[in-house]
Amino acid sequence: MVEYRTHMKIIGDILTTTRDELADDDGATVTFLIRKANISHVRISRILTNLVSQGLLEQDSSQGACRYRISHSGREFLHAYQTFSRFAENFGLAI
Amino acid sequence: MEFLFENILNLIGFLVGLTIGSMSYIGFKNTGSPTLFRLSIAFFSICVGFFVIWAGFMVEDFVIKSGHIERGVQTLGIGIQTVGYFFIAFSHGIKSFFPKSRYFRSVGIFPLFLVSVIHIENIFRSISFILLAYGAIETMLSYLESKKKGAIFVTLGLSLLAFGEFIGWYSFVFPESILYYLSISIKISGLISLFIPVSKVPLRKIKFDEL
Repeated sequence: MVEYRTHMKIIGDILTTTRDELADDDGATVTFLIRKANISHVRISRILTNLVSQGLLEQDSSQGACRYRISHSGREFLHAYQTFSRFAENFGLAI
Repeated sequence: MEFLFENILNLIGFLVGLTIGSMSYIGFKNTGSPTLFRLSIAFFSICVGFFVIWAGFMVEDFVIKSGHIERGVQTLGIGIQTVGYFFIAFSHGIKSFFPKSRYFRSVGIFPLFLVSVIHIENIFRSISFILLAYGAIETMLSYLESKKKGAIFVTLGLSLLAFGEFIGWYSFVFPESILYYLSISIKISGLISLFIPVSKVPLRKIKFDEL
């Protein structure tokens, strides 16, 4: 059976990628995030804009291509997301 | 004895509902998740429902002293709890009140044939039973996919609450029997079982932020 991800789960995947899967401190490119989060360019652009405006990601355009790093607020959000994800899973639900 | 048992049940129900409702609300404030919002409505409703019945017993015990709780107060409390059970079931994707799901067909029709037309309280109890059974089955199916141990306790909790409602409903048919005490004991076990996985969620580092 195909498992559809919720919007929240996609955000969680993007933030997890920017926190855990970067080799250096330069940040992740959009292409890298598209591959890791498995999401279309149009959709991820909208989500990244939203995450940057909410202060969960920091955008760096200094090296030609846009790169994204997780912010302190992003780390706190991700921690809360993972905690309450487990909480909801106890009820057989996804947040 | 009956009052003591009812008071224990309603106090535990109030505390468990308040705790899980508060945790769901903190989760909603931190993540903005609609699922957690529905869970907080569900458990706050359950909490208020148990509180109303407990308050009814207290007022009866200390003020009115008629020997039995006001039927309207008990019906109101059970009705509010039913709203909570509805939101738990709704979170599992109820699309309409009587969906064509095969799980619902297998458990949903039976109590409706037996329901008394005299008391609206019986109707609330039978609706609660259906919603709780639906929630328990869906949670069990989720466990089969996710293998999260906490889901077993929630499944057990919802199942025991459903079974307790079912037995309690029969105690209307056979009043003053052991069924009544059995029903309350089963429901108390169900509430404790619901609380077990939630008590393991670490909340110390979680704080309200301004998202």
